[in-house]
Amino acid sequence: MRKEIATFIVNGVSYEELIESNMTLLELLRNKLGFTGTKQGCAASGNCGACTVLVDGKPTLSCLTLAWTVRGRNILTIEGLAKGGILHPLQKAFINHGAIQCGYCTPGMVISSKALLDENPNPTKEEVKAALAGNLCRCTGYVKIVDAVLAAAKK
Amino acid sequence: MVTQEFSVVGKRMPDVSGVEKVTGAAKFTSDIYLPGMLIGKVLHSPHAHARIVNIDTSKAERLPGVEAVVTCKDVPKKQYTGCLMNLQSYSGIEVWGVHDVRVLDEKVRYVGDAVAAVAAVNEKVAEEALELIDVEYEQLPAVFDEIEAMKEGAPRIHDVVQRRQDDGTPGDEAVERNIGVHVAHKPVGDVEKGFQEAGYIIEERAYTSKQRQAPLETFQCIASFNAEGKLTLWTQFQVPNLMKRMIAYVFDMPVGMVRAKGEYAGGGFGAGLHLFRVPLCIALAKKSGKPVKLIYSRREEFTDRPTRETFGPYTFKMGVKKDGTITAVDRKVVAMAGAYVEFSGLSSLIATSVGNTVYRRQNYKAEADVVYTNKLPSGAMRGFGNPGETFIREQVMDEAAEKIGMDALEFRLKNLCQLGDPGTFGPDFPLTSIALDECIKIGAEKIGWKEKHGKKKEGVRRKGVGVSCMAHNSGAWPVHVEHSSAHIKFNEDASIVLTVYPATIGTGAYTSLAQVAAEVLGLPFEDVHVVWGDTDVTLWETGSHASRTMYIIGSAVYEAATEAKGKLLNRAAKKLGVAADELDIKDRRIYVKANPGKGIAAAEITKEAIYSHYDVEQFTGSSSYRPSNSPPPYQAVFTEVEVDTETGEVKVLKMVVVSDSGRAINPMTVEGQMEGGAAQGMGYALWEEPVMDTTTGQVLTDDFDTYKIATTLDMPELDTVLVEQPDPTGPFGAKGVGEPGAVNQAASIANAIYDAVGVRIWELPITPEKVIKALKEKKGK
Amino acid sequence: MHQTLRPFELLEPETVEEAVQILSSYGNKAKVLAGGIDLVSRMRRWQIKPECLVSIQKIPGLDYIEGNGGGRLSIGALTTLRSVELSPIIQKDWMILYEVAHQIASIQVKTMGTVVGNLCVATPASDIVPVLFVLGAELKIVGPTSEKTIPIENFYIGVDQTILEPNQVVTEIVIPGIPAGAGGAFLKLEKTKADIAKVNVAATVTVTNGTCKEAKIALGAVAPCVIRATRAEGILKGEKLDEKTTARAAEAAADEATPITDLRSTAEYRKEMVAVLVRRAIEKASERAKA
Repeated sequence: MRKEIATFIVNGVSYEELIESNMTLLELLRNKLGFTGTKQGCAASGNCGACTVLVDGKPTLSCLTLAWTVRGRNILTIEGLAKGGILHPLQKAFINHGAIQCGYCTPGMVISSKALLDENPNPTKEEVKAALAGNLCRCTGYVKIVDAVLAAAKK
Repeated sequence: MVTQEFSVVGKRMPDVSGVEKVTGAAKFTSDIYLPGMLIGKVLHSPHAHARIVNIDTSKAERLPGVEAVVTCKDVPKKQYTGCLMNLQSYSGIEVWGVHDVRVLDEKVRYVGDAVAAVAAVNEKVAEEALELIDVEYEQLPAVFDEIEAMKEGAPRIHDVVQRRQDDGTPGDEAVERNIGVHVAHKPVGDVEKGFQEAGYIIEERAYTSKQRQAPLETFQCIASFNAEGKLTLWTQFQVPNLMKRMIAYVFDMPVGMVRAKGEYAGGGFGAGLHLFRVPLCIALAKKSGKPVKLIYSRREEFTDRPTRETFGPYTFKMGVKKDGTITAVDRKVVAMAGAYVEFSGLSSLIATSVGNTVYRRQNYKAEADVVYTNKLPSGAMRGFGNPGETFIREQVMDEAAEKIGMDALEFRLKNLCQLGDPGTFGPDFPLTSIALDECIKIGAEKIGWKEKHGKKKEGVRRKGVGVSCMAHNSGAWPVHVEHSSAHIKFNEDASIVLTVYPATIGTGAYTSLAQVAAEVLGLPFEDVHVVWGDTDVTLWETGSHASRTMYIIGSAVYEAATEAKGKLLNRAAKKLGVAADELDIKDRRIYVKANPGKGIAAAEITKEAIYSHYDVEQFTGSSSYRPSNSPPPYQAVFTEVEVDTETGEVKVLKMVVVSDSGRAINPMTVEGQMEGGAAQGMGYALWEEPVMDTTTGQVLTDDFDTYKIATTLDMPELDTVLVEQPDPTGPFGAKGVGEPGAVNQAASIANAIYDAVGVRIWELPITPEKVIKALKEKKGK
Repeated sequence: MHQTLRPFELLEPETVEEAVQILSSYGNKAKVLAGGIDLVSRMRRWQIKPECLVSIQKIPGLDYIEGNGGGRLSIGALTTLRSVELSPIIQKDWMILYEVAHQIASIQVKTMGTVVGNLCVATPASDIVPVLFVLGAELKIVGPTSEKTIPIENFYIGVDQTILEPNQVVTEIVIPGIPAGAGGAFLKLEKTKADIAKVNVAATVTVTNGTCKEAKIALGAVAPCVIRATRAEGILKGEKLDEKTTARAAEAAADEATPITDLRSTAEYRKEMVAVLVRRAIEKASERAKA
């Protein structure tokens, strides 16, 4: 295909969009659907994790994913985490533990943390670090991020 | 240490921006879309040094979707500097400043320098358009080494620049020997005599690296002119009012016609202090007649954004007596300006003075030559010269201690500055607080200094511990204009609106400032609504640099709150039939101090005043504040490393960071600054190694796969301790805290490596390759 | 400086035959899309500009790990690095393959990236490839008219270069069973934990009655492709793996390496570290062989 209409399920809602083959999932989310929570931080080389979303529950770099290839799959972005205005335990923990400074890495960090806790509800500190090794943060030194994930796991 | 009981100050309040950021609702410059907005991209020079003979933009202009192409013909010709601190003096240019930049010049001076720019309907078209611009260059010989650049016959990078004249205004001057600026401090005492009196003289040279700020959000700028010609800007501001003034200067427009609106910024670390490509964005908006968002990709961010200051070499000479007295210190610095001086003059000034408040020396002097080469300019990054000075000074301190046979901690403690000693900017600004001795003692105990330091090491993998101490500043007064105006108004329900404008780069400033206001006004934290991000709404504010935010803006908020409180209590006093000074306020209730049962809800007073028929009043308070000092925040960092003597790898096992930043308004925020700073400091020490091709001048480390910053897996066990000795001049005793966190790591690790394996590395970053080389040389001896 | 994707045709065949046919019709102007980590990032840099992407993501029966108690292990073309990391079969019987997958830092990269895709990128600094070398891996290559299986050592011919024709697809990795008395190790030197190797080494040794029956040593990031240190292997074969022999083999391996100086490290350092890592790898592998 070069240019076609496709259906995307983002945060439980279906969207029908005309897209081109060279559109990435990140561009679709940010530019077409207005979900600006997911960010770009590197030269779209898979090196920073700021663009991480869940595709069928799996942590995926949206900057390297062609939108067409994930049509019809369940996509979760940071905007879809809180339900009915109630924050997810991870979101609450990030706020309460000072795990957010500039906030740019936060969406990717929280999504990657969710993928971890969905697979491993009781991770060790080392397992948390390993799960977040693909998400760069320049502000926090990661200390409070790891604390927050461990605290959320206890809930 | 902290004995006073506060309601809000000193508490770990969660950040006011937390919910927005954690739900993805927070908007950054990269998330802003204006109707009709175009995307701007910059064409970069592939050559290190060249004259632009001709630019043909016709093909690019014809590409469908392209709406403007600008070259040097379309932009102001004025010379200026991207260092936004430069026009802050009353007259217009500082001693350490140089106006050597143009928006677009007829020459390019480093690989990556701007040549032209395009604005198109989207990023894809803009990138295509760049390919269609034909540039004819006349390549010139380039020079990449500072010592070579100062020699006779070296390529001239600048012919005429503007420097400060006697009347304080910028005037044309020729450039000699590629020296952009010469910085010299007034000597204290007699350094030569001091060296004569010394029992031992240690002289070392260090080379530091061109670290990148590497905020996770790359540079983005939006410029939009309204129908009346008023310009509104969005970018990752750190000093928006200073940026307004420089833009007005460059474009010859009234300052009042420039409005800076900030969203959240994905990091700053000094990057937001540069004017950088904002004028190019403005030029594109002017030419196209539409709003333009200029976007930098990560690769552009790493190859064309002003970096940390770099020294090559920093020569540090120190004289000590056998009894441990430091008799003389002489610092000579060759600072790398790169192609434009930008911040290198100011950072050299700081790098040769900020260490003055750590140890007492009887005689000292310092000077720096800031040298042009065809490299990326040196700008501003967290620590601003301090990490480089500390790297060499703290190793020299260890060497001196070893020479005279004193323990490294004992030697430092013996020479520590005391209360009342001259501050960074001289004896007129004495030290008002210093708890570094306590920091050292606490850190030493936590790392196990006595048990681990100076012991015989064996085996393939050897452990060692090292220390580094430092002082920074709380703002740059009196060297810099440090004006913070803050405003508070009471709503009818006695909640307040606090209007301030520190940078929104993630330092938690708003939260801490709201805590100050809440504490003064006896209000719960959630009753403070903070408004920021618009210079048409907020009062004048220098911004966020030099770790000034809590110390200076905090004081402005304190005073503004005090004024508002006074007005509220005055009205309440009339209502209650007492004198105003008999009243106080706590938990939204105004009460008589001597008889707390008698009082009234604050909301009753505020509502009555607003809705009164005859005597309307809204209680406000504002303050235009400037400090009278710059008390140094102090830190001691102790590190334990393990060195693999076969591979040269240095593993940081544990790091203890002990901080004296006065009272912590929000301890969680302060810890965050220490932890985040430690990650950057460790990167400076070990991993962040920008690499340039020395024949072409091209920067090769252009993404996170080649420029390595810390991941979760690289961080050691990190222990942070706050020593809170309130400073009498700071709001609730607070001092600065933003930068100190990134200063000590390189020296602490270097000293620990020496303890482990007996070699000293004087070039950053400390790589396994360098350690192996040093070990071999030691073995050879 | 680019980061936007140029236009291309995107096709999603449902069989390997169809995929190969499409590749044939495009000459060398089409590329295979599996995980896309390397492909898409190169395309965003305008390093490669394919006219067509042939996605194999929709082809069934390519995502599998099949092994039986230490016997032959087969890994399909769409098997991700994460699947390898989580596979109980691999953790149990092909430990160094688990270890090398585990040490890749980014979970996102492991979740999206395929093992076959990774080895087809042909970077000389690949972590996976040296491990596959010493495990004796073979690759099944499918073309328009033929299928063949080749030892992985014969796959690489230069920096980023393999023998794969534009119209061929690697569909499977086959790894023979682990012999009794075998142990392996994978070691790597890198700047930070999420980095490409300065030097990496994989080794397997098979020890019977205290003597090394066979040794395989592969070196990465120190030559245009991953190489086997055959001279070093020869020194170990038939010998006791004592300190002296190991040291001799390590020196030989360092001689066989032809590293360059680049932005990650120097040729001098790399050469020296080959000796260090090979020695350590042999020590670790032989300890595991005894267990």
